[in-house]
Amino acid sequence: MPRVCWPLINNRPAVQVVLTLALGGQPYTRNLLADTGAGSRWSGPDLLLDEQDCLLCGGFAHQPIVLGGAYIGSFPTYVVRVEIPALGFNSRVRAVAVSRFPAGFDGMACFRFLNQFIYGNFSDPNQFGLEK
Amino acid sequence: MLTLAEIQTLNRELARKINEDTLRNPKSPYAGHFVGIANGQVVAVADDLDDMARRLEQIEPDPARCFSVEASRDYSEVVDIWSVP
Repeated sequence: MPRVCWPLINNRPAVQVVLTLALGGQPYTRNLLADTGAGSRWSGPDLLLDEQDCLLCGGFAHQPIVLGGAYIGSFPTYVVRVEIPALGFNSRVRAVAVSRFPAGFDGMACFRFLNQFIYGNFSDPNQFGLEK
Repeated sequence: MLTLAEIQTLNRELARKINEDTLRNPKSPYAGHFVGIANGQVVAVADDLDDMARRLEQIEPDPARCFSVEASRDYSEVVDIWSVP
């Protein structure tokens, strides 16, 4: 099974995804905090991203989602195409548009997204990885 | 000719109606499906988000004219995010 690992960012687990810019089609890499406490298996978004990133990458609007906890209220939601090339992953996912993320990160990967992979540090405490 | 803002309003309103209907009537043809809307009309219905989105993008390449909803889902449900930004 293919596996990809990334170094921790500010000692927190990171996942690197690739979006595609709508203008020009260049890859647009984003570092996301891997947060298994964000959402649940069946409810909620796959990712939290900056709204500009969703729009720059050709995301289209989805029904808004209500967040609680660190973010409170109804937030615009987009469907965006996400790739993790090393895993051959290429799929449209739901991304809620929020504007503040933990330092060093461009967004967050929620439990719903992470749970479709095997995830963890794979015996190295300095990294976080996904396996498909 | 409708403006983009008018199209977006139509899309949102249609999505809201579809979701209301499917929450009331589980036998609705859209119930439990992902519904893709473009220019105020339903143009794609699929069992999963990726399939719906691919079809919607083929039919209407301009994302600003598109909208989608997971019919039968309770969008008033609060999703907790605990990491402090």
